[in-house]
Amino acid sequence: MLTVLERGQTGVGELMAMEGAARAVEAPPLAGRAGGGRSDISCRGVYKWYGDSAVIANLDLSVAHNEFVCVVGPSGCGKTTLLRMLAGLAEHDSGSITIGGVPVTGPLPSVAVVFQHFGLFPWKTVFNNVALPMRAAGVAKDEARRRAEEAIALVGLRDSNDKYPAQLSGGMKQRVGLARALAMQPEVVLLDEPFAAVDAQTREILQEELLGLWSRYKQTALFITHSIDEAITLADRVVVMGTRPGRVIDDIVVPIERPRSVASVRRHESYAPLRERIWERLRTTAQPK
Amino acid sequence: MSVQRVDPRPDASSVAGSPAAVSEQALGQDVREARRRRLRRARRRFLAIRIVSLLVVFAAWQLYGMHTIAILFAPITTVVHQGYLLFVNNGLGNELGYSMWTFAVGYAIGVSVGIVLGMLMGAYRWAEAAVSMYVFALYATPMVALVPIISLWIGFDATAQIVIIALFVTWPMTVTVFHGVRQIDAELMEVSRSLRLNRRQTWVHVLLPGAVPYVITGATQGVAMGLVGVIIAELQTQLSGLGSALQTQSQTYHTAAALAVVLLIMVLGVSLRAILGLVHRRLVPWLRIDRGDGREG
Ligand SMILES: Nc1ncnc2c1ncn2[C@@H]1O[C@H](COP(=O)(O)OP(=O)(O)O)[C@@H](O)[C@H]1O
Ligand SMILES: [Mg+2]
Repeated sequence: MLTVLERGQTGVGELMAMEGAARAVEAPPLAGRAGGGRSDISCRGVYKWYGDSAVIANLDLSVAHNEFVCVVGPSGCGKTTLLRMLAGLAEHDSGSITIGGVPVTGPLPSVAVVFQHFGLFPWKTVFNNVALPMRAAGVAKDEARRRAEEAIALVGLRDSNDKYPAQLSGGMKQRVGLARALAMQPEVVLLDEPFAAVDAQTREILQEELLGLWSRYKQTALFITHSIDEAITLADRVVVMGTRPGRVIDDIVVPIERPRSVASVRRHESYAPLRERIWERLRTTAQPK
Repeated sequence: MSVQRVDPRPDASSVAGSPAAVSEQALGQDVREARRRRLRRARRRFLAIRIVSLLVVFAAWQLYGMHTIAILFAPITTVVHQGYLLFVNNGLGNELGYSMWTFAVGYAIGVSVGIVLGMLMGAYRWAEAAVSMYVFALYATPMVALVPIISLWIGFDATAQIVIIALFVTWPMTVTVFHGVRQIDAELMEVSRSLRLNRRQTWVHVLLPGAVPYVITGATQGVAMGLVGVIIAELQTQLSGLGSALQTQSQTYHTAAALAVVLLIMVLGVSLRAILGLVHRRLVPWLRIDRGDGREG
């Protein structure tokens, strides 16, 4: 949508109309989480151009049902672009993108996004931010309230229900972002450098909490980061993206058993070699400008 | 002020590896109490400066008025007294009532048209393409220039005056709301799409609340513009209301009385602005957040 706005042809009103069009070809409901194998992500030969330059070229990527995959890559390599295409917020120019076997043509109801800059509405309290997508989707009021309160409690913000985002620190804001995604009970969660905007200590705390949350809820997750440590800590598999154009240059399984903690991952024998390998891949892809 | 800044954010003081968010209580009552005290002190200081300023200006006015010719200027005590006499003897209350009535109607029309036009122009490119050049042309035109034409078309009665007032209010309102809607964070629009808000929900939850601060800014500007419109309309069409009182008093060289009318118009403007300030605080609670530095906003 940014593109469209920047090209200056469409107002937000028209964009809403376009969204309606996307929804007309709505996907059939995804099978329940217990169904197995139905909320996998698959990208095949995906291309994306901005103007004359390919931002993403011939990208193949798959995430299995209930798998946690981290994508690492230098900044500007197209990570956000990839996530926006998966989220149905940007179109891809060729290739196929499916989630649970359904081609992505717009935001899917089974997918929740956690945004780098939190994406909270400043005029809504924590509670209302979390409850909004459920209310919009027509979840009954009591049910929405119960789920919102539960999610807010899960991220440790029980006391902040009635606060506005401006009253929260960066770490707390992203907890709200996580709570909003959780409360939607998605089958797939897409996270775009969710912890990049918070300080290092908070970041580790949030990683720890995310490990805990994910071990309980186990959705299919695609987590974008440019931190190698973060990727190893969280992921079952790390996908390394190269730059110019964006493509997958390595795909590494993280053989560290769960449950994990930030500390236990650091102590693990495969941590250092993994880190070395990813670092090496990233170093060789970073071409001088 | 050299008050030590205590960072109220829990994360700032939390230690790596500690469990979930360090709760607000952990910071202790005293931190919050200190913040509140600092805020109160800053408010008191602000008020004190304001009062001193008013006293200085009134004293200067008084002194100057006492040492000049009555036809040119008058001390504030005389002005206030003359104002009182105008109310009692010359029916200034009726004039005020009339002006307020035309103002209220014209202002309401101007604000409503401005909100609708500005919102449409901000949200839909077709609306911008269709009408923005007229809006900006009229915005750049001194509305005074249109007054004779409007009298020609509509006449000299209250209707004409209301139209003139509305014209004064509409364009700044439209332009402000337009810019407000346009600047609503592109990222938030993307979030609303991702949360699958439909068109109505996007208006209700995103566009309208996002535009509220700008609507209020426009409405506040509109008060000043509308008051200009009232006086100009009353002087240029049928002489009436406060404009008539002003004209009568100054043409008969009752300078103190004329100043009283001017003072009344000023008080009116300031009061209406203050009312809108209260409305603002009511409607935009998310911006009324204590930043801990004595300011709000
Ligand atoms: N809307 C857009 N229009 C033009 N170029 C864009 C747009 N969005 C991103 N790009 C370009 O695409 C490249 C990848 O951007 P992005 O996906 O944000 O990278 P990352 O998230 O990996 O840092 C960058 O070179 C950026 O300048
Ligand atoms: Mg990015």
